[in-house]
Order: sequence, then structure tokens, then C-alpha cells
Amino acid sequence: MQRDTLVSFEGVVKRFGAYVAVQKLDFQIHKGEFLAIMGSSGCGKTTTLRMLAGLEAPSEGVIRLSGKPINDLPTWSRDTPMVWQSLALFPFLNVRENVEFALKMRGVGKAERQRRAEQWLDRMQIGEFAERNIAQLSGGQRQRVALARSLVVEPEILLLDEPLSALDAALKVRMQSVLKNLQRETGITFVYVTHSQSEAFSMADRVVIMSRGVIEQIGTPQEIYRTPRTRFVADFLGSSNIFTGKVTSVGGAGIALQTDSGPMQLSASNAASAPVVGSTATVTVLDTKMRLSVTPPADGVNVVPVRVIGEEFVGATATLYLETAKGQEIRVQKGHEELTGLPLGIGQALFTSWSPEDGHLVAGG
Amino acid sequence: MRRHVTLYGLTFSLPLLIWQVLFFVFPLVFLVALSFWTVKNFAMRPDFDTINWVTMFSRKVFWQAYGTTFVLATAAAALTSILAFPCAYAIAFKLSDNARRWAVFLMVIPFFTSYLVRVYSWQIFLSDAGIINVLLGWIGLGPFHMLNTVGATIIGYLTLCFPLAVLLQLFSLVFIDRTLIEAAHNMRCGRLRTVFAVVIPSARVGLVIAALFCFILSFGDFVSPIYLGGGDPTTLSILITDTTKSGQQWPRAAVIALTMVGTLLAVAFLAVKFAYKGRTK
Amino acid sequence: MNGDDEDINRNRAVDWGLKAYIIASFAFVFAPIAASFVFSFNADRFPSIPLGGFSLEWYKAVAADPLVWEGLRNTLMVGIVAGVISTALGFGAAYTDYRYKFFGKQVYLALALLPPTIPVIILGLAMLAYLSRINLSGNALSVIISHVVVCAPFAMAIIRLRLSQMDPALEPAAWNLGASEWKTMRHVIVPFTKPAILGALFITMAVSFDEFAVAWFVSGLNETLPVKVLGFLQGQVSPRINAIGTFVFVTSMTLVILAQVLLSGRTATARPAADEQE
Repeated sequence: MQRDTLVSFEGVVKRFGAYVAVQKLDFQIHKGEFLAIMGSSGCGKTTTLRMLAGLEAPSEGVIRLSGKPINDLPTWSRDTPMVWQSLALFPFLNVRENVEFALKMRGVGKAERQRRAEQWLDRMQIGEFAERNIAQLSGGQRQRVALARSLVVEPEILLLDEPLSALDAALKVRMQSVLKNLQRETGITFVYVTHSQSEAFSMADRVVIMSRGVIEQIGTPQEIYRTPRTRFVADFLGSSNIFTGKVTSVGGAGIALQTDSGPMQLSASNAASAPVVGSTATVTVLDTKMRLSVTPPADGVNVVPVRVIGEEFVGATATLYLETAKGQEIRVQKGHEELTGLPLGIGQALFTSWSPEDGHLVAGG
Repeated sequence: MRRHVTLYGLTFSLPLLIWQVLFFVFPLVFLVALSFWTVKNFAMRPDFDTINWVTMFSRKVFWQAYGTTFVLATAAAALTSILAFPCAYAIAFKLSDNARRWAVFLMVIPFFTSYLVRVYSWQIFLSDAGIINVLLGWIGLGPFHMLNTVGATIIGYLTLCFPLAVLLQLFSLVFIDRTLIEAAHNMRCGRLRTVFAVVIPSARVGLVIAALFCFILSFGDFVSPIYLGGGDPTTLSILITDTTKSGQQWPRAAVIALTMVGTLLAVAFLAVKFAYKGRTK
Repeated sequence: MNGDDEDINRNRAVDWGLKAYIIASFAFVFAPIAASFVFSFNADRFPSIPLGGFSLEWYKAVAADPLVWEGLRNTLMVGIVAGVISTALGFGAAYTDYRYKFFGKQVYLALALLPPTIPVIILGLAMLAYLSRINLSGNALSVIISHVVVCAPFAMAIIRLRLSQMDPALEPAAWNLGASEWKTMRHVIVPFTKPAILGALFITMAVSFDEFAVAWFVSGLNETLPVKVLGFLQGQVSPRINAIGTFVFVTSMTLVILAQVLLSGRTATARPAADEQE
């Protein structure tokens, strides 16, 4: 999936006074991809997007668009339209005028403006609302107007800053597929900032996870989900159990650790680089890969005795909250049929275990 | 996003700055300079002489007028605050949203309509043969001499301050968290007690600021003391006009004016400090 | 929580008493305005009750006075010019406060907002002394200058309030769509603040008009600074003044009502549609 680079961040730093919002950003955005930048608030994801849009100037480093540095280009001279969290539709203009705005600012003639606006209004299925005021539209319709307004200039890249956050859950899902299809059909590069894992993972080709102004991991949703590269990512995704301990042996057969919850083993291939014996290491195991039993499993590997402290049912799956003797919380996610027959009362003693193939060593202990 | 100064930014920020420096700051600064000028043969001369300050501050008339003005303005601030509060309270808590909007709408109107004409019209009510005395006469009372009294001056101050006081009080009252009042009731705090124990402390900043504005407006007002109070007792504003009229004594008038500004600054400082006391944590 | 008679925590007598108090307050506030209005049509020489017959005599007398017409012309001229300048300066200051952070902003805002809190008598004294010193006193220009000093803060406050209702993303969104700062000003900021700009224009004209009325009352001349005002009116109760006063009230009330209607009006008459199914 090697593609041409459209945008590159080269050693980009952004400071606000003494506060460093973004430190040493180095990554590329490929032509035609759907890239999601994800992280909790204050992680620098919006600042990154705003630097790309030219709303903030980088304190250090270079941002290139199609190879050309754009650091000194004012916002209005870049073709990097953005869809805003608040949508920022002009309330004093009607739908058509909103969509025509960018063309008008570029000096496009009236007839041409109307033709192109019409085209995008139809494409976004809002042609019938063209003469309406923004205040008369529903949330989903506004979303479409905002998209049409940004796409009418047919840019190479579209920036989206948490555009779905104001919508209710059902509409959110519908708009996700609208966005994904739009991106596929137009081939325009989408850079989508969000704090929502489900949005990022369901739409993006690649996901960038940021924390405190630093990129923690870049990869496809599957890569990130299966093998979180850092402890932060594992924590942030919240879908893995995390065990920390001392490395006791490293060999062809596997890596062994001594953790608070007992000795553990994982396949040697599941570590990006071989750890040093005696160092501290962290293992992540997806909560769906954890096994549960009333008696200790026969193989005796990676077995942790636990007590049930709670359970939560979400649709077809259930999440069990367990606690080790040392007080560490462990989550196990299972289908209901897998749980039938297990005693799950609060306080019930059980054993969890996981296979050495399912454990992954992450960077940064 | 751009830190440096732009022509665009200056186009919007500079005009007001220039105007207010030229025509607001400079006149006030000039007033300070003027207070050190001297007057010889009805002509002012640039000078640096403290004579005007010494003369004014040693005059009994000045301190009498100062005391009168201070007491009157304090009384007006207290009276207006007390009379405006039930009105602001009722508008805030007893009216529907729609009625409240109308009340605010109506209260704003007098704030921007000629105060002088309004004060002037009070003469129709207060004069010896005016409406109030005629009405009292019908029930066998009076006539009372009301015009050219301190009471009439106070009515003038009320005319000046009441709408603004209601609006400022109202503004702080509508922002009180209603659940605080319900919580007080829930803890067996009665209606009236809740007003004193919860509502007034919650709205303190607004109430103090409202009283401060009443003080400032009354302290500097010259219309009511002249047209309703008949110029007696003399307030500082009357003293200023008298001083300018008598022998070009503008420098002495400047002394009075600056003393007033100093007093207002001190009162404003104390009031704001009191309003925010214990709030800035 | 409005007017619910079923609420057990309310006392009807207290509620009615407070509502009566509101009405009494408005009666007090509007009494002088109403009296001026009523007696301007009263035939009697001395305003009191019972009323004499209906008469337009005082209006005729006022209308026949050339000084009044000159005063009116001056008032309108000064009001419009001062209103326009104040609104322009106030707009600039409001936008500056909205958009920029800079060293000394507190001082800037103090200059932009303080003048109306300085007593008119002191401001008048200072202005008159200063303007005559720089040879600007005694003409309409000096009146306009001093009115702008007092009016611009009102314009600033009104327009600033409107800007604070604007989605902070609106301006960058326009830049992002290719509009330069100047174009954004013209196509986004100004259209958005238009109701407030007009409202500020009306309010500043009303303030200027009231200040001017002070001068006009006295002499019908350009004089407006309060120091020149003094000495007049004492002891006179002339129905002619009621006629002029009524005119003053009607004019400023019209301006203030227009401004308030503009400022309270929603940008669009429509209510937001419910999130309908698409």
C-alpha cells in the first residue's frame, strides 16, 4: 500500500508560550488515504490539524504539501479546507451561499459558482434545501452543507476536526459511512481528528495515536488494535490487559517474565526487539483473548487466579471484571454462550489464562 | 495566529485609542495641569503653583459642599439599592421569561432618554401648585413645600439611578443557581430568610456594583441639586459651576473636579474590593 | 418556575405584592415622561391638575421659533455624525478585544469603556478647558468630539456582546475557505455583527441626542458642555419645555426601541428544525 506522499511533517514543534503542544512531529500523509489522528483532549491532535490548515504557525520544523514547504503560507492561500467541530456555517448566509463562499473568495464567476455549488448540493443530497437558512436544517443536513462547502473547491486534501461530535449515536454511524464513501469516491485525502476510537477505526486507512504532543503509534486500525506498540496505546484503547514485570529469560522458545500476577511467557516473535534479561517489560493481552475456567487449565501457562468483581452486558458480549490477589483489575470479554456454565457471582474464584501467542511486548515499560 | 502587528489589526484598534487619548486622557491630564495655573486680572496663566489647592482645601465652603455631596450620594446609593432590590428580585424570580424580557426592555428605555428633561418634569409633580399638592388638597392635606428641598434632590437622584440599579441587580440575580434557593428551602430556610441568607450573598458583586454606580452618578450630578434642590445645600458640582463663573477661577474648579475624581476612584476601589472579598481563591 | 400557582413553596400574597411593586417602579420611572407628554397638550399656562383643554398651542409656539429649528438641525447633524464615528470606533475596539491579545490590553479596554463613568460635569470642565486651549471649542466640531468620547464606549459594549455570540470558528473558517482578513471582515464579521452595528448607531445617536438636548434646552445653540448649561431653567415651568421635552422623549425612545428590537432579534426568523430522519 505504498503511495505518494502528500503532506509531510518534518520535525514540527508547536509551543504556546512555555507550553509545548506538539513536540518533534515526523510523519507523512499519503495521497488519497483516510488518516485519523486520535488522542484525548490536549494531546496535540487539533494543533497538528490547525498547523496543516495554517491556523497556527509551527514554532520549529517544516510542513510540506506536495513537496513544497507551506509554513509561511497564510490560511487563505492554502487549499486545505476544513470541516469544523462546530461546523462554523455562516448563519447569515443560506445553504447555497455557504457552499458558494469559497468559490466567491477565489473570484469564480457567478454562473460557474452556481453550477459547481449545484453539483455539490446534489451530490450531498441537500439540493432541495439550497435556499434555506442554516437554522432551519437538522444536524445531519448541516453536516452535509459543511462538507459541500469545503469540497466545492475540489481540494486535494480535506481536514476534519471532530465533525461528528454533535450528532446522536445513530446519525453518527450513518455519517461515518457517508464520509467513508465520499472519500473513496473522490479519492481526496481525508485527515480526520477525533477522540473517538470507534470513529477512527471504522473509517480510517491509517490511524495516528498521539499523547502529550508525541505520536505513540501509526498504523492500520488492525495493527494498532492487535499489537499496541506502547503502554499508552494499550491503556488508551482500553481493550487489552496489561502485565508488567521483570524479564527472566530470553530465548528461541520465548520470553519469560516474573510479574505481580505470577510467571508469564510469550512467543519471541511478539516483541519488536528482544528485551534484556533483568529489565522491566510490559505485556498486553487483548481482553477477547483471555480464557476463563473454574479449575486451573492443564498446560499451566500464564494462569492467574482471580475473583469476580463485576460484570457488564453489552449486546452480544459480556465484559467480566476480575481482580487478582494483588488487586490488579483484569477484564475478559466473551460471548454469552462461552460464559454459560461458569459461575459468575460476585466474589467467585476463577482462573484466567492466555496463550503465549496472544501476549505482546510493548515499548516503554 | 500571527503575533506581529499588522496593518489590518491597527486599522481597527488604533482609531479609538487615538481618539480617547487625544480627547479623553489629554483633557483629564490638562485638568491636572490647570489646577496649578494661576489667575491674575481675570486671566489664566500657565504656572506651577499650589495656591489653588491650598485655597480650596482651606475653605469651609468647600468641605461643607464635600460633606453634603458625600452624604447625599451615599444616601442616594443606599436608598436606590434598597428600593430597586424588590423590583429586581421580583423581575428575576416572579415573572415569566417573556414578561422579564419586556421588563428589561422597558427599564432600558429611560436609561437612554434625557435625564434633564425627566428631572425637569418632576417639577410638574412637586411644585407648590403641582399634581401632588392638588391631590393632597382633595383629601384636605397640605400644601407642602416640596420643590427646592433635599427630598426633591433625592427624587432626582432616584430618577437618575433607579433604572440602572434595577438592571445591574437583575443581571446578577438571574445568574443565581436556582437549586441553591431550593436547597435552602429544603433545609428549612424560610422564604424571607432565604433572600438574606442565600440570594443577597450570591448576588453580592452585582448588588455592590449597582450601589457603586448609584454613588458615582449621584456624586457627580448637577441637574437634580439645581433644578429640584434649588441649589441649596451646595454640592460639589454646583460649586464647580459657581467657581468657573466667578472671575475665571477655572484652576480652582479643576481642584474641585480632581478631588471628586480622587474620591470616586477611592470609593470604586473599596467597593470593588468589598464586592470580591473572599471570592478570589 | 414561572407563575405556577400550584407551587407549594410560594405565597400568593407575596407574589402579588412583588408584582404590584414592579408596576409601581415602572410608574415612578415613567411618570415624568408621561407627565411631560400629557401637559404638552394641555391648554393651561401652568401644568397641574385638573387638566385644561386639549391644545397644540405649545407645539405651534415651539415650531414658530427659528432657534428651535436651528437647534434641531444641529442636533440631527451632531447626532448622526457622532453616532457614525462612535459606532465605527466602537466597532474597531470591540473587534480588537475579540480578536487580539496584546500587552496593555487592560489599559486599552479601560480607555474604551471608562468615559461614561466620569461625571459629566468633570468631563465637561476638562473638555471645555482643553478644547478651548487647542482652539476647538465653541463649534459643532467640539460637540461631536466630546460626544464621541462618551458614546463610543456604548457602541463598543453593544458590538462586543454580539461578537461574543459568534462561533469563534467562523472567522478562521472563512480564512480557511480562501478569504483574506479584509474579505473576511467584509463578508463574515460585518454581516454577522450588522444588527449590533445598527443598534449601536441608534443608541449612540440617542445618547448624543440626549446630551445635545441639554444644550438645546438652554440656548438652542451649539453649546452642549454642561458648564454652559447652568443657570437656566431655574424656577421656570413652561409648557413649551414640555413640548420640546416630549419631542426629545419620543425621539430617543424611538431610537432606543429600534436598537433593542434589532439587538434582541434572532438572525433568522426560523427555529432550528428538529433532527429529522434523513
